[in-house]
Amino acid sequence: MIVCVAVVGHQNNPLYLQSFTEADDALKLHHIVHCSLDVIDERVSNPKRSAPTLNETFLGLLYPTENYKVYGYLTNTKVKFIMVTTDLDVKDADARNFFRKFHAAYVDAVSNPFHVPGKKIASRSFGARVSTIVKSFGSGTS
Amino acid sequence: MDPLRSYLGRILLEEITPVVMVLSTPLAEAACRKNGLSFVDMLSPFSLFKKIDVPVRTASEVPYRLQMFKIRMVYASDVRKEDCEVADEKIKPVVSEANEKALPDLLSDPPQAEDVLGKPEAELCPLWIKKFNRELMRTLSFSEHETFDHPVACLLVVSSMDKEPVNKFVDLFNTNQLPSLLNEGIMDPQILKHYLVLHDQQEGPQDIAVNVLAEMRSTLGLNDCKLLCINSSTEAGGSNADNSWLPYKALVLNNHDGSCILSVDDLNEIKDFMQDFVSNHIIPYMEQKIRVLNQQVATTRKGFRNQIKNLWWRKRDDVPEAPNGPMYTFTSIESQIRVLGDFAFMLRDYELALSNYRLLATDYKLDKAWKRFAGVQEMSGLCYFILDQSRKDAEYCMENAFSTYLRIGSSGQRNATRCGLWWAEMLKTRGQYREASNVYFRVSNEEPSLHSAVLLEQAACCYLLCNPPMLRKYGFHLILAGNSYFVSDQKQHAVRVYRNALFVYKQNPWSYINNHVHFNIGRWYGVLGILDVAIKHLLEVIACSHQSLTTQNMFLNDFFHYVQSMGKKFDVYKLQLPVFNMSSLKVLHEDHRTYASHADVGVSESTWQELEEELIPSSSIVKTNWLDTQPMRKYKDSCICVAGEAVKLSVELKNPLQIPVAVSGISIICQLSSTLDALSSDVSGLDLDGGEDKVNTEPSISMLETDGDKFTLSKLDIVLGGGESKRVQLDVTPKVEGILKLVGIRWTLSESVVGYQYFEFNAQKKIKKGKRGPHRSWNNSLVVIKGLPKLTGSIDRMPTKAFAGDLKLLTLNLRNHSEYAVKGIKMKLSNPRFLIPGDSSDIGLKFPHCLKRHVQSESSVVSAKTMKDNFKSLLFAFPQDIEIQAGAALSWPIWFHAATPGNVSLYISLYYEMGSSSDIKYRTLRMHFNLEVLPSLDVSFSVSTSSSRLQEYIVRMDVMNKTPSESFVLHQLSCVGDKWAVSALAACSSINSVETVSENQAVSYFFKIKDCEADSCKEAESDSCTSDMALCPGSSTDLFDIARSPFVDFHHQERCRQVKMAKGPCSLLDFVLISKAVDNSSKPTPDFELLSHHTCHCSALSQNPIWWLMEGPRTISHDFSKSYCEANLQLVIHNSEAHKILVRVVTFDVIPEKTVHPHDSTSAQGGWYDVSLESDVKAISSSKSTHQEKRSSKSIPPYVWCSLSCAQIELQPDSCARVPLKVCIFAPGTYNFSNYELQWKVHLSEGPHVGENENRLSGGGLGYPFYVTVLQGV
Repeated sequence: MIVCVAVVGHQNNPLYLQSFTEADDALKLHHIVHCSLDVIDERVSNPKRSAPTLNETFLGLLYPTENYKVYGYLTNTKVKFIMVTTDLDVKDADARNFFRKFHAAYVDAVSNPFHVPGKKIASRSFGARVSTIVKSFGSGTS
Repeated sequence: MDPLRSYLGRILLEEITPVVMVLSTPLAEAACRKNGLSFVDMLSPFSLFKKIDVPVRTASEVPYRLQMFKIRMVYASDVRKEDCEVADEKIKPVVSEANEKALPDLLSDPPQAEDVLGKPEAELCPLWIKKFNRELMRTLSFSEHETFDHPVACLLVVSSMDKEPVNKFVDLFNTNQLPSLLNEGIMDPQILKHYLVLHDQQEGPQDIAVNVLAEMRSTLGLNDCKLLCINSSTEAGGSNADNSWLPYKALVLNNHDGSCILSVDDLNEIKDFMQDFVSNHIIPYMEQKIRVLNQQVATTRKGFRNQIKNLWWRKRDDVPEAPNGPMYTFTSIESQIRVLGDFAFMLRDYELALSNYRLLATDYKLDKAWKRFAGVQEMSGLCYFILDQSRKDAEYCMENAFSTYLRIGSSGQRNATRCGLWWAEMLKTRGQYREASNVYFRVSNEEPSLHSAVLLEQAACCYLLCNPPMLRKYGFHLILAGNSYFVSDQKQHAVRVYRNALFVYKQNPWSYINNHVHFNIGRWYGVLGILDVAIKHLLEVIACSHQSLTTQNMFLNDFFHYVQSMGKKFDVYKLQLPVFNMSSLKVLHEDHRTYASHADVGVSESTWQELEEELIPSSSIVKTNWLDTQPMRKYKDSCICVAGEAVKLSVELKNPLQIPVAVSGISIICQLSSTLDALSSDVSGLDLDGGEDKVNTEPSISMLETDGDKFTLSKLDIVLGGGESKRVQLDVTPKVEGILKLVGIRWTLSESVVGYQYFEFNAQKKIKKGKRGPHRSWNNSLVVIKGLPKLTGSIDRMPTKAFAGDLKLLTLNLRNHSEYAVKGIKMKLSNPRFLIPGDSSDIGLKFPHCLKRHVQSESSVVSAKTMKDNFKSLLFAFPQDIEIQAGAALSWPIWFHAATPGNVSLYISLYYEMGSSSDIKYRTLRMHFNLEVLPSLDVSFSVSTSSSRLQEYIVRMDVMNKTPSESFVLHQLSCVGDKWAVSALAACSSINSVETVSENQAVSYFFKIKDCEADSCKEAESDSCTSDMALCPGSSTDLFDIARSPFVDFHHQERCRQVKMAKGPCSLLDFVLISKAVDNSSKPTPDFELLSHHTCHCSALSQNPIWWLMEGPRTISHDFSKSYCEANLQLVIHNSEAHKILVRVVTFDVIPEKTVHPHDSTSAQGGWYDVSLESDVKAISSSKSTHQEKRSSKSIPPYVWCSLSCAQIELQPDSCARVPLKVCIFAPGTYNFSNYELQWKVHLSEGPHVGENENRLSGGGLGYPFYVTVLQGV
């Protein structure tokens, strides 16, 4: 199950963070997402590790915490998508597929003429779309 | 880098050293106690040898020299594995001790990113953390599976005062008291023994000790006995002795506080003893043991044969699975190999140690003795590290050991921790900080919260040391560490690590984390009692709009709790609660322009200027003399306000929280300097310094408050609901002349926190006062000039909503509050359609009776007020003699008429001059009203010519009530001017039934109007012709006089306005419909609502330039038996054009009128057609006539025109002509003599004619029906 998805701007400012758990763990997820930026930075600055796929946007598993796995995705505009999941065996293809859909939703959201670039995404339809993507991710794996 | 010189190397050199077990008698201890030391304490400073320089030869033949060496002196009672809880309790003081040291740091500012990143590792990881690590490792001392903690030698100490010292030695080494390690057969009890006689010089002469020594040597052996004399110095030499300790001070325990009676000689003796003990006994003993063991191992385990044998033997031995593996006694070969390895390690023959550890690892693995296996792996990892051979192997061994320890459960947990610490240090030495931090993190999971906190902090430090530094992880681990510290009740540490993490979250808008960090820091500071810093941090979180209600509540409650604990009011610069929207800041000050109300200021200045164009003298007139204006010029840059008049400042404030917030005492911070000279320097100076400096340079708030005698400030208390925004108005009233500087705003939050904020003038563009003056850029300084008279004005009962047509008499009230008189009052109104000032005589008149027509019709009043014919605005000068004295008031009537529906803004500007000379010659009072006029009655008129009479028109009045709920009573319809008379149609003289027009009802009325002045057709019309007609039954007596002042004025305005819409050039007439509102409820309305609707420029439907009418007898009696009948008729033709017209009348007999329909005639007579449909109607009527023509073309006409068939007349302008016609009738009946036709042509006079419709110039028309009944006469 995906517990959290986040969009982080190119200056590492949070643009969107939505948790999908009932528990009041927003702070924890904030921390996890925030920390994973370090890993993304590291991946980006040391591209040797991901050399075979030079223009790959999908960053793969960023790091495993005790209960979560964190996956990352980096767009051309240096906007990062982060997904935190409790599934311990996530197929890369699933994660890739998820991020592709998520990216499309993000592009649609920022194409809104009323969206201010660099500001938080307030669009409700984006939120709705993301939650359907998240739900479909859960059902796809099970 | 030599691994031994690294930090881990140093730890290993200091920690993995031979242990000397000390057994002492109570008397010996007592002798040492005199110095406040135990025996071990006394000796331990000398147990570290920096340069022992001893040759060592282990298994190999090549000797090497040891330089630094250390032994550990431990009491036999301490040689045991400590209980975990007890051990942990021992560690706690290390952390808490550092707690107190951290306190002063907490008062300084939190570190910044640059500071932290530049720091070397040593500073990041303070000394106490290293100490903690060591203590943590030491909790594992004297474990069973490791032998480096097992005593190598035993030192038996007996005092010279003891009786039978030799027997004492035997008693001391009594097996009952020995540590369990020796008793249980885990280690060899046959260890090196060394005997020492301790002699206290103060107790007696040395001879006794010498004797004892001699006795010992004879019984216990020559070399193993020593004499040590202490306490040789006198009491007086205590200070000397203190100095002698200096070289060792760092090593001496802290409890060295008692008097010291050890002399320098004593210390040297101890030192020599220790040197001898180590170099001559311990090291040779270990060398020897290594060689013996090595030999043993070589014979039993080394070589191919032994290996095979070992494998076979082990295989055969079916080892039961036990958590600690099988029991190994000191005689077992495994234990011996381990001892060999550890001894080699301690003597730094790491090659030898490693080979033995590796040998042992396979054995333990086969035996499934996992704890021992892990211990051996750990040691081989360290060996690899020190040998610096294979990093990979070292790491593999450490990881293997670590995971093995973890796997065996709780018994191996602490071992895993130690292994992890070593591993992490190893990684750190090699610069693999990331991996090291991972190890720390893994270790921290296994430890209780306090230990985990320290470990997490170290993990964080490692992230910082990574290249590039991983700041976010650094922050996160610090936060985790902080939480663990807090859980284990180490608040200072918790605050310290949180503070260190602050900078990570500072720049980025990760508000949740930021709030959490600030809130916890604030709270913990509060718990520590450092309230000011606590409040400072809590201030960062109180304006958290994104948090949930409960969180906001919690933040705010804690904040107020600590503020109240402070016990005093707290000044906060830029308090975030509530948020003052500085861009919404507006300063309203009145110079020569004054405003009746706050809302009037919002009107754009250009509107006012346009309105006041004719009202105020142009600037050249004001400046009568350039010398006079000199002081004025000085103020040019700055704005002017008047002493005694409030400067208003309005600003919007917003509560970002969902909780209601009480804000009290909102006021302006300002300064008033009364010297004019300071103006220039002050103003420029203030403009320059930015908002940042201001914090430092501005005097404190309390100082500013004391200026109470120079100005007064308004204080405002409001409660802002959750998420609410409010615009507040703050006043400052200067009392003396000078320069008023508006500095900022202050407010009190919930009676406890004083917030203040200064205006930032760098952002001048933002708050540019476009509203105040187009050419002025606002700055914070206002020049206060001498008090001036000021009028305040209002209009009584000015409606905000009115029905269209509403007519009211209002009163304009002016009041002079100052102590000077004002004169020369003028007024300009923007929209005279709606407001017209009345006469002074109108005051006190009773409305609406004053409008009623009086018996003595005083029509001379009409147009007493001359309109300036500028219907956009109206300038009205009050009578010259009117002056408003100080404190006096003036009322003036104003007529109000809601002319058209819609939203209207009415502007009034009042001009007045000062009675006395002052800086400003005149002032204006600006008033502004917004009015919503609702549609009420929609009145339209259609006028069509009457076909039966000349100069008479039929008027249809359509009244539509557009209101949803109101009813109106039509009162009166009037035609404006004397020319027209209006009367009801003869047929329906009474219209009582429809006097009230209720909501949404449409009613049509028909009237007849007559041109009274039409002299050309003036026939004897003696009946009363009035221009007014009462529509209400009882109202015929109290008609309103529309020729009176307000009606005529408003009508004039309407005429001017409606002129554009009117099309027709001729016969324009204006109607005024007066109606009254009927209150639906039974309650009588105090306000008598009178509505007047003005419809102007109604023109008659007649589009023809001529107007004709048949005249003649309607009934003829004739005896047809004699002859046919002849009827004389007359066609009256009237030229209503201003030109000559040529008219041709043609009669024809073709169209017979066989059948007569009386109904047709009436309908034709009463026929009325809409003006706009004029052409269509024509078409219909013409088609109808042609149709009739066709239908009856075959029949013979019952009459014929005689006398003439065609006549041509030329008509002078506005004149009548009569054409006589004769018709012959052959039978009795009713006939319609309408088959004639008129054709006309307009002869245009010279001169340009514009806008004339071309098809009006010529045309024709069929005759109107004219019925004559011919009867058979007798």
